[in-house]
Amino acid sequence: MRSASLANVVDVAAAPLLSLSEVTKRFGGFTALSEVSLDLRPGEVHCILGENGAGKSTLCNVIFGVYQPDGGAMTYRGAPYQPSGPADALAQGIAMVHQHFSLVGDMTVVDNVLLGRGRGVLNRKECARQLARLGEDYGLPLDPFAKIDDLSVGERQRVEIVKCLIRDPQLFVLDEPTAVLLPDEIASLLAVCRRVAASGRAVVLVTHKLAEIKEVADRVTVLRGGRTVVTSDAPTRDIDMLVRAMIHGDVAELDGAAASTLGLGNVEPVGRQPPRSKVEALQIDGLTVRDRQGVTRLDNFTLTVDRGEIVGVAGVEGNGQSELAAVLAGMVTPTSGRYYLGETDLTGRSPKEITAAGVGIVSEDRHAVGCVLGMSLAENIYLNRLDEFTRFGFLNRTALQREATTLMQRFDVRARGPGAPFSSLSGGNQQKAVLAREITLPNLSCLVASQPTRGLDVGAVAAVYGHIRDACSRGIAVLLVSSELDELLSVADRIVVLYRGRIMGTCAADVSRKAEIGAMMAGQAQ
Amino acid sequence: MTAVDDKPSAVAAPRFGLRPSLLIPLAAVAFAAAVGLALIAVIGVPVADAIAAFVDGTIGSPYALAASLNRACVFALVGFGFVLANRANLTNVGGEGQIAVGGIAATAVALYGHVAGLPLGLAFILPTLAAVIAGALWGGIAAVLKVRSGTNEVISTLLLSFIGVWLLYWCVQSPALLRKPMTSSATLPESLEIPDAAKLPLLTGDYGFPVHLGLPLTLILAVVVGVILARTLFGVRLRAVGLNPVAAYRAGISTTRTIVVALSAAGALGGLAGALMLLGEQYTLKDGFSSGYGFDGLVAGLLSRGSIPGVIAASLLFGFLRSGGINMEMTAAVPTALVVVIQGLIVITLAGAALFIEKWERR
Repeated sequence: MRSASLANVVDVAAAPLLSLSEVTKRFGGFTALSEVSLDLRPGEVHCILGENGAGKSTLCNVIFGVYQPDGGAMTYRGAPYQPSGPADALAQGIAMVHQHFSLVGDMTVVDNVLLGRGRGVLNRKECARQLARLGEDYGLPLDPFAKIDDLSVGERQRVEIVKCLIRDPQLFVLDEPTAVLLPDEIASLLAVCRRVAASGRAVVLVTHKLAEIKEVADRVTVLRGGRTVVTSDAPTRDIDMLVRAMIHGDVAELDGAAASTLGLGNVEPVGRQPPRSKVEALQIDGLTVRDRQGVTRLDNFTLTVDRGEIVGVAGVEGNGQSELAAVLAGMVTPTSGRYYLGETDLTGRSPKEITAAGVGIVSEDRHAVGCVLGMSLAENIYLNRLDEFTRFGFLNRTALQREATTLMQRFDVRARGPGAPFSSLSGGNQQKAVLAREITLPNLSCLVASQPTRGLDVGAVAAVYGHIRDACSRGIAVLLVSSELDELLSVADRIVVLYRGRIMGTCAADVSRKAEIGAMMAGQAQ
Repeated sequence: MTAVDDKPSAVAAPRFGLRPSLLIPLAAVAFAAAVGLALIAVIGVPVADAIAAFVDGTIGSPYALAASLNRACVFALVGFGFVLANRANLTNVGGEGQIAVGGIAATAVALYGHVAGLPLGLAFILPTLAAVIAGALWGGIAAVLKVRSGTNEVISTLLLSFIGVWLLYWCVQSPALLRKPMTSSATLPESLEIPDAAKLPLLTGDYGFPVHLGLPLTLILAVVVGVILARTLFGVRLRAVGLNPVAAYRAGISTTRTIVVALSAAGALGGLAGALMLLGEQYTLKDGFSSGYGFDGLVAGLLSRGSIPGVIAASLLFGFLRSGGINMEMTAAVPTALVVVIQGLIVITLAGAALFIEKWERR
């Protein structure tokens, strides 16, 4: 909850700093923004709320001049605003922090800030002084001469923010800045937003998490399907209405896990039976992975998962989860340690053998590892079992399409048909198809799912967890890797926390221990 | 709060009487031909003479027609191989060397394999098989280099081409290898003529229309390669490996085996092309045997944009162009260089047309 003292009293009558009037943006035949109207007032934190694909990023990019709108008009400080590009927007006092960082890892903070700003001889000292002042004003402490590579994700984001603030922008746009941050870092970022707004500037904060809105927003605009659905002047009061506007459904109907991904109030553990059988299915014994530079990415990881149990692996991204999942998938051979399914040693086996042993894998990077975008839905949904549709080398496409259609219905994969190109499916439907493929392995006994709900809308999240819970109730051991702690708390039985490749601790997935888990994610042993 | 229907507006696709994908390549060829004729006029050769010589050299006589078709077969085989490997995102530019080693193997077996007396056509089948195997090995080397150490197949197949071509040169220069016995200092650096039984049978049996067994074989292989690509598990695996090797590997597809088989198959088709040239037309192995046909076949494969009928169309075009060009040079005194220029023009305009069609369809 936001304390009243943090709230800014925004003068409602104040002239808007930037106003959008019926702005439309199309990409080919797809309308990403449709007649969006919006006022941004000086001194406010204005949250843009919406599911993935609602048009939030497009909106930011139109404001920042990355895209030129196809219709409508923008007015900035009372004059027509038609930025020719980001440089033009910056020159006019509009700055943006993108979802993905744009920093040079091998250079220092100062040099990164000076990139694109310096003229002639670089005045690093002067820049460092400016950074120190900004750090004090906004609570953004930074070592100006540290190398970016040595900074944590949260610190890197501070650099991105400082890069913008040093230009003294009037309007400050942040596109989903909290996705990669620790709970503590999120809180301090939101505080920075408040301070920037308090100095009379406008802050646009894009998010799909309601908790952040309650914390920081003066006003909220909800986007759905590229349109503005509603704008609220009292977000905390209207929170239920905002959720409904965002997902076009009723809060009460929301799946617990899906609701938790939105940061909706209390995380309710879904009333699951404790695992019935204490039969070890997946046994991981001291897995260690060193990369080519000899850096230890995963350090002596030991864990057992029983049949019918869901174990969550929590942690900020980049703390060894990818390496763990890659080893279990057979994509990386561990430096040491072993991995068993029942009695079978699967260490260093090929993906083909691991699949045959009954381990389903949902990869964190769907597009790079999970599917072949250029092939059809039917081919993708049976990619690992195509030989079942083959006689004398010939593929029986009729049977393939028929079986694929059955799976599409069972898993509610929406597409034009089994022959539709996989790239034409929405992210949620792609993920449901990948899950369908892995979860319907004939002898499935273990499922390893990494970030299975990333980028999905609420409906798809609920579907994915429904299927995972269903598999679990059939006695499948599930290892669930996610950076969304709330999600793990509502789905998993047990949570292990990874920090710098090591297990910081293990505990029951109990909401009351959220703070403790958060601290472990930040590297504090409990 | 308003209820919102979020349906993106559908955009109607443009419709055409004649498909632009057919019309535009034809226009491109016509344009290149027009520029070529203009160039011919500029250098002072009567355009009518040049056209007459071109027609004469392509379809003017049964012999000319057969020569064009035989050439087209060679281009098409190399082109099929290119398309097949390209499905797995492999670029085989080694057709020239694969033709050369195919020619060497076919010559060696035909001359020294004691095949002349064999029944059932084994006299020409065995040399052909030898050429196929040699070509497959030549392609396979590039595949193994790629799988083992990640060597880019464009570089390795190209360099292997040079090795193949110079290997052939060595074979016809050295009496210890394939050079015919030196009876005098005037003995040419070439092999003996292969025995008649090893020559590919002519379809009509008439040397006035010397289309050989290679033509039906090429057509059969067109169907076989087309079916493999479109209807078999191997075809799907090729595509999966080509589009996303990581995902293909995760799904249990052996990427290394797929790459080795694909490049070997492409090499085998190149080797077969070499066999057709030697056993069907040239009968003796000489320096310059492969005469750039490997590269023409590569261009046919590139221009086809992955379609087997496209390879056939491009191969016929190049087959006729080559024959007509040679005749223009011989009877109308048009320099060969100009023929090459026209051929290059056609390639560029066709490639440009392809880009144009792509943009058109994406609109």
